[in-house]
Amino acid sequence: MKAKILVVDDSGLARRITRKILEELGYEVEDVSDGAQALEAYVLHHHDVVVLDLLMHGMYGGDVLNKLRELNPALPVIIATADIQRTTREAVKEAGAVAMVNKPVSKDELQEVLKVVLAGGTLWN
Amino acid sequence: MELTASQMDALTELINIGYARAAAALSELTGHRISLLVPEVEVHLIPEIAESLQKVIKGDVVSVNQIFSGPINGNALLLLDREAAMLLNQLLTDRAEKSDLDGAAREVITELGNIVLNACLGAFGNLLKVQVTFTVPSLQVESVQRVIRSITVAGTELEYALIIHTRFHVRASNVSGYLVIILGVTSLKTLIVELKKWEDRELK
Repeated sequence: MKAKILVVDDSGLARRITRKILEELGYEVEDVSDGAQALEAYVLHHHDVVVLDLLMHGMYGGDVLNKLRELNPALPVIIATADIQRTTREAVKEAGAVAMVNKPVSKDELQEVLKVVLAGGTLWN
Repeated sequence: MELTASQMDALTELINIGYARAAAALSELTGHRISLLVPEVEVHLIPEIAESLQKVIKGDVVSVNQIFSGPINGNALLLLDREAAMLLNQLLTDRAEKSDLDGAAREVITELGNIVLNACLGAFGNLLKVQVTFTVPSLQVESVQRVIRSITVAGTELEYALIIHTRFHVRASNVSGYLVIILGVTSLKTLIVELKKWEDRELK
């Protein structure tokens, strides 16, 4: 069965790029443009993985991550952000994300990350 | 010249990436985490921008200006209010705060502007596959109106400005900074074409 992935990003372009990559990799994809929609979508559809932007209008991605982890502490959340600061990486790791990829996301990186994450691992090397 | 919603969306995403790279450069320089806020992007005609910026930056502004050239050319500016410039200087040099920006402080802020502007426009160049070259940065401390006037007098073809309103927090201080990119109509059209190519490449 295809894994279901929720993409959360306020940029339409970023959503289209990520969706296209994930669909090419064979995943089932739902995308939403803000944190409130993400929480609603997750409650309704219980995705296997969430790919989450940090810097969004409305709820900050870090707050969305916390809320998602309250709903399901085992839910793998991958942060997709343009923010390349080491401290951001440490902060999202601390908050329970399983990996962080930098935008613009690449197919190879996302493929690699999803392989590990869907097998129950994390990528913080 | 009106941008469509789709063009604005692509431009905002590009700026978001460039802005995050600029903040990372600033974090490296200051040794402090930079908390980012969502940048707001506006496209204005040149005569409108001084008015728009004066609403958010009062009094004299510390500006670092760099001319860039290539397929897309124009001016890139980092605008900081005096307090923000003083704070950044203090963080970069560990010097006790002085009441004014002396020569050494100006040199520090000029280099900071150089790094931040290059990080931002370099990210644009890499993503759009457009080679951009920069002139040496220059620093001015004067009103927004005078800064904009001096640029537009030097480059008569310049017509549009992308204003990127940003605020970032450095060590619990709320530092406001503004990135302004001033372009001629030809460069703005080229930018839009290159944005579409970028989008097409990513979605191919």
